[in-house]
Amino acid sequence: MQASPNGKTPIDIKHSSKCTGFESALGLDRRGFLQRFGGGLGGIALANMLHAETGNGLHHAAKAKRVIFLFQSGAPSQIDLFDHKPRLIKETGKELPDSIRKGQRLTGMSGNQASLPLVGSPFKFSQHGKSGHWMSDLLPETAKIADDLCIVKSMYTEAINHGPGVTFMQTGSQFPGRPSMGAWLSHGLGTMNQNLPNFVTLVTKNKGGQPLVSRLWGSGFLPGKHAGTRFRPDKDAILYLNSPKGVSSEGRRKMLDRLKDLHELQLERTGDPRLETRIAQYEMGYRMQSSIPEVTNLGKEPDSTFQLYGQDARKPGTFAANCLLARRLAEQDVRFIQLYHPGWDQHGGLPGGIRRQCKETDQASAALVTDLKARGMLEDTLVVWGGEFGRTNYCQGKFDAKNFGRDHHPRCFSIWMAGGGAKPGFSYGRTDEYSYNVAENGVHVHDFHATILHLLGIDHERLTYKYQGRHFRLTDVHGRVVKNVLV
Amino acid sequence: MTIRYAACIFIFGPVPLLAEIDFNQQIRPILSDKCFKCHGPAAKNQKSKLRLDSFENAVKSHGGVVALVPGKLEDSELHWRIRSDESDEVMPPLKAKLPLSPKEKDLLDQWILEGGKYQKHWSFEPLPASVPVPRSDSSDPRNEIDHFIAHELKNSGLHPSDEANRETLLRRVTFDLTGLPPTLDELDDFLADKEANAYEKAVDRLLDSDAYAERMTAEWLDVARYADTYGYQVDRNRYVWPWRDWVIKAFRENLSYDQFVTEQIAGDLLPHATRDQILATCFNRLHSQKVEGGSVPEEFRIEYVADRVHTVGTAFLGLTFECSRCHDHKYDPITQKDYYSLSAFFNNVDESGLYSYFTGSVPTPTLELGDLPSDEGIRQAQEQLRKVENSDEANDAFAKWDGNQSGEVLELSGPVAHLSFDEFKGGKLSNSVDPKKPASSSANNKLVEGKMHQAMKLTGDDPVNLPKGVGDFNRHQPFSLALWVNPSQLLDRGVVARRSKAWTDAASRGYELLLEEGKPSFALVHFWPGNAVRIRSKKVVPLDKWTHLAVTYDGSSMAKGMELFENGVLLESEVIRDHLTREITGGGDPFLALGQRMRDRGFKNGSVDELYVYDRKLTGSEVRSLAQFDSEATKEDLFEIFLQSAYEPYLKQAIQLRKEREAFGEARQRIPEIMVMREMPGNRETHILNRGLYSDRKEVVTAETPGFLPSVDKSNPSNRLGLARWLTSPNHPLLARVTINRYWQMIFGRGLVSTSEDFGSQGKPPTHPELLDWLARDFIDSGWDLRHLFRQMVLSSTYRQGSELTRTDRDLDPENLLLSRGPAYRLPAEMVRDSALAVSGLLHRKKGGPGVKPYDLKVSFKVINPDRAPNVYCRSVYTFWKRTAPAPVMMTFDSSKRDVCMVRRERTDSPSQTLVLLNGPQFVEAARVTAHKLVDKFGKQKDDKLVAHAFRLLTSRKPEKQELKILYQLLAEQKVVFSDLSKAKEFFTHRPQLTGEFKTKTDDPTHLAAVTMLISALMNFDASISKR
Repeated sequence: MQASPNGKTPIDIKHSSKCTGFESALGLDRRGFLQRFGGGLGGIALANMLHAETGNGLHHAAKAKRVIFLFQSGAPSQIDLFDHKPRLIKETGKELPDSIRKGQRLTGMSGNQASLPLVGSPFKFSQHGKSGHWMSDLLPETAKIADDLCIVKSMYTEAINHGPGVTFMQTGSQFPGRPSMGAWLSHGLGTMNQNLPNFVTLVTKNKGGQPLVSRLWGSGFLPGKHAGTRFRPDKDAILYLNSPKGVSSEGRRKMLDRLKDLHELQLERTGDPRLETRIAQYEMGYRMQSSIPEVTNLGKEPDSTFQLYGQDARKPGTFAANCLLARRLAEQDVRFIQLYHPGWDQHGGLPGGIRRQCKETDQASAALVTDLKARGMLEDTLVVWGGEFGRTNYCQGKFDAKNFGRDHHPRCFSIWMAGGGAKPGFSYGRTDEYSYNVAENGVHVHDFHATILHLLGIDHERLTYKYQGRHFRLTDVHGRVVKNVLV
Repeated sequence: MTIRYAACIFIFGPVPLLAEIDFNQQIRPILSDKCFKCHGPAAKNQKSKLRLDSFENAVKSHGGVVALVPGKLEDSELHWRIRSDESDEVMPPLKAKLPLSPKEKDLLDQWILEGGKYQKHWSFEPLPASVPVPRSDSSDPRNEIDHFIAHELKNSGLHPSDEANRETLLRRVTFDLTGLPPTLDELDDFLADKEANAYEKAVDRLLDSDAYAERMTAEWLDVARYADTYGYQVDRNRYVWPWRDWVIKAFRENLSYDQFVTEQIAGDLLPHATRDQILATCFNRLHSQKVEGGSVPEEFRIEYVADRVHTVGTAFLGLTFECSRCHDHKYDPITQKDYYSLSAFFNNVDESGLYSYFTGSVPTPTLELGDLPSDEGIRQAQEQLRKVENSDEANDAFAKWDGNQSGEVLELSGPVAHLSFDEFKGGKLSNSVDPKKPASSSANNKLVEGKMHQAMKLTGDDPVNLPKGVGDFNRHQPFSLALWVNPSQLLDRGVVARRSKAWTDAASRGYELLLEEGKPSFALVHFWPGNAVRIRSKKVVPLDKWTHLAVTYDGSSMAKGMELFENGVLLESEVIRDHLTREITGGGDPFLALGQRMRDRGFKNGSVDELYVYDRKLTGSEVRSLAQFDSEATKEDLFEIFLQSAYEPYLKQAIQLRKEREAFGEARQRIPEIMVMREMPGNRETHILNRGLYSDRKEVVTAETPGFLPSVDKSNPSNRLGLARWLTSPNHPLLARVTINRYWQMIFGRGLVSTSEDFGSQGKPPTHPELLDWLARDFIDSGWDLRHLFRQMVLSSTYRQGSELTRTDRDLDPENLLLSRGPAYRLPAEMVRDSALAVSGLLHRKKGGPGVKPYDLKVSFKVINPDRAPNVYCRSVYTFWKRTAPAPVMMTFDSSKRDVCMVRRERTDSPSQTLVLLNGPQFVEAARVTAHKLVDKFGKQKDDKLVAHAFRLLTSRKPEKQELKILYQLLAEQKVVFSDLSKAKEFFTHRPQLTGEFKTKTDDPTHLAAVTMLISALMNFDASISKR
């Protein structure tokens, strides 16, 4: 195409005549608009799916606007934290009864053990708050927010190993390839902010433990832009955020302005509406260069914040610092904030190991809930705490009541939720007297996902994406909303 | 033609009700998406008896109610149900949440009125022998493609675009065929070439290049889910790049596509298969593999087989087999039985579901990538040994031998360890051979009354460990073990003795004596099950009594060199595995241990007594003696004992044989191995798995191709080779269509079937069905010649069109389905990076070899140290691919994750892409280097020339006046910004981690920095990173 006919040089055209008015059958204009504001096709996807039922792009009124998932990777022992079992303590040292095991599969790590001796928790349990939640003395700070917590003690899963287990919790499938929960939400709900990614992942630094993999916050078969963005505890919080050394903000701005001029000319030349998107992406990238350092800079928080979250929060990359950062991201309306804290995989040396883990997480987890509440954000922010499965009531390896280990246990585990429409001070589901099987109100991982989507205003059966000829869902073909845990 | 018209209304909306309905284009998609879930081909697991997947089913009466009465709306239940207002009557039911649109209802009604005709799904129909080319008034037809395209455009209101200018065209075709931009020389040559066939010549030059082969390979790596690591959670490195180099070679040599497919599926089964043909089958092993401790191997082995099925399904058949893993396909006529019958082709390899945590063994089956060392030395030594054995001298010496009369033969060459289990103090068990080297055990194992004095009762969870080094035999070393055992329960598996750190976690590396279902089983293992020898007794060891067991081995690495004895009697045994080609030491625990092994089942509640370990093969009579079997040694026995323990010439020769075997073994061990396919002896049964669950086995199926597709020529074998022959047969409905569609997508940006992964009823119908068929037939007729296919595409006028959009284009066909203009989109990830390297001159044209590590791996989720120059400048096809943390720059630009087979990438725009291009070291460095070169070339006084040259270098075209003006402004502004010398110097300070390998030297940092920013801006400019 030729230069504009009015004789003006296109450099002066700040808004090309082709930037607007694309009223095409396929709504490219709308798509371009949404991409410019980061909403992407997700907004359209849901809007189309819903036939604008509720007028605000949701299937029903949402209780939660955002989620902070404090994922405890490696699988914390329910028996030593929330699921108090006096009978198990009494029968410590005895063999796991066949009537309880019921021939169910074990992992290859303890499955070949000649003996499976029961071991009760060595930690002291007591009840807390008006709700009377049982917790062990490993969680003194969490105990203080007992009345804010909805504890589900009857979670169960299908995976018996970490890789499949974590993948199941995050994507609804044990095997790689599906989108993560945050990616589904990004696809379904679009973004609420213009300067930050929609879905952020924070991993505790230098924790070792079971390896995590980037697909856990990946987009699976959804477009790549729905993948979680991992913020690193580094100056470059995201990939190549900062301009090269020596390039000033002013220099960058000027260069981008000229690039924009070139792109507007190119838009003239080609008529390709994607150029509008590209121009917008350069602007968003530029904004992120200041918005991300700003949100990740914890330095301006008052001392009281660090008293609340613990002094660990001053060290970038700790769980405490990530909890605080999660609150700051939530304030900026990042929709899904996924934390990972590895190190709960206590096959041996559990009493010492779990004590360390709790020291690293108890105060900050409780602080996050307290802080959100104080800021009036807990109402519409759902906080979830939990791992990929539970741990066995029997000892892995040699029996030693003081220094034992527990193997993976998919048949029951405990998680807690706070805020965002989860019923506070409430305990749901029950395990048997050995914390081996679910005795009442089991909550499958698919049910858990269905419930979270419900709180966000989404019907899990209707948030779908057609791929390879099939309408895929986070909950596959399963899942039911656990109505009892809702406010 | 109806189809053509249908394609149009697909795009342009409202249905002109007068046009006749086309079932495949208009009705099948509705039925499939909205009805088949409950009324589809999955007869077994849908509640309703009504099926709408065929005419015969749809017109069946169900108690007088008929869904489809051709031509009669009022009699057709289908009509009433889709129009019903009653919530319990309306179809699809409200709870299905898949309402029909008014347009879809109208279409269904019209279809009923027109007779409710069905067609077989288009892609399952055999490929026609020939396809007529439509007559068109194409203004500028270059080949048949243009006629098909013009024919569809005729009534659309759209017109073909003019041919793109020559710069644009050369740039487009060079990227499409080689993944690289044209050099300025290539561009000038092309512009200077005034001959009519200049473009054709350029195309032929591009097709016949290494760069073409690399570009084609980059695309194939997505399909093959190629990665340099195993994936899943632990994700160790693996050695598979020789397969990638095989692919490059195949494309470079223009291997015909049918052969390309055949060799990858079944190269090992070809007659006289070459090493390269076997190597090609690594394709089937590129799926993710598992090592996480405690995993159930069978669960993952089944997963591997499934991945092969899904890959073949997607890559070659364009079908989604995944659904039918758990149940009959809801939309396509793929039954669960079809799925498992197809999986049977890939189920017959001797593999484990886990790779080895404690060793680096390559998971079996494997191919040795090198010539085997000569075994001549071994054969000669064996021959010599036989000669010595049969010599008169030996007989004479035997006659004179004292041992002939003595009963103490065993003392002549004593054991290397002996545990009597009579004394157990402080965790130590005395070893009568060397009191300083006692064995050790946990106190959980207890002394009990034994066969001779005391014995040890084992828990099964606590080992008895001999000292380090004792019993650590490799495969060239003969050895023997003997002990008394007293099992107290029938064990389906129990480890009695082992030199081996772990079961699945070490793939059983070492040797072992087990009780399997109570039967003694003796094995030497490099990687279980595919590289091992195992013999197993046919007899169960009795419970609650003492039995003497002995195993002997002659150092031959063969099952026939292994023996099992019970109470001194040689046991009849069966050979379970007989393929040991590599070392059996390593993996940890370099000593013999009893009763337990890591994550294995131990000799629970069994007792052991009088263990003897020998570093030679015991003779039968020696074993009998150890077993207290009261019998006279025969003369033959004694002669054997004499040879092995007392006759110097024999002993010398035996040592020579051992040395030859050791040397051979070591040389062989150095040859790298790679995973491939090899049929295992016998047939592994393949079962239908209920709901896909590995442990829920149902009926046995045999290897067969899906029933709804044309059947196999009976002359083909029923193995992978037969499958490949079937796929590549000239009338196969899918392979050629799927293939040319994928390559059409590569060249035009979208397939004629836009869902290139799904040719089933849920996929999108083709925009140009006849063209698809014509190209497929033409491709086959050309001998599956890919270069021919690409010539057809890129020489067409359709391809050569300019890509500019007009308002009419946008209004009528924003997605360019009818191809009234040339393709335009952002370049794929590899090209974005490679072109920056190419224009800067940094690109390192090394071909093949191990994956290379560019700068961005340093900041990936799993930090990997980058390579140094020049490897950091290799083409992206060689980028080391770590599945759990793929190269972040590639991922930012929508690269496939390579977890599973992918035939189509998303194309997105994101702010992260802008940050990578503006700030990523690879790109900033390329900009600096380019700037450096240009400043060297033009000096500081000719910025105007420099700018024009830079623009052309980056975009292959000359800048327009306005563009030049913008760029001058940019340069001037940046000079001002960098007139702050401290900034400019900081910009050029060498920090290897941040700025790359290149060191900048300049006496005018301000100017160079400004030019660098100019180049960087151009590298971010659409004209550099988009195909236009």
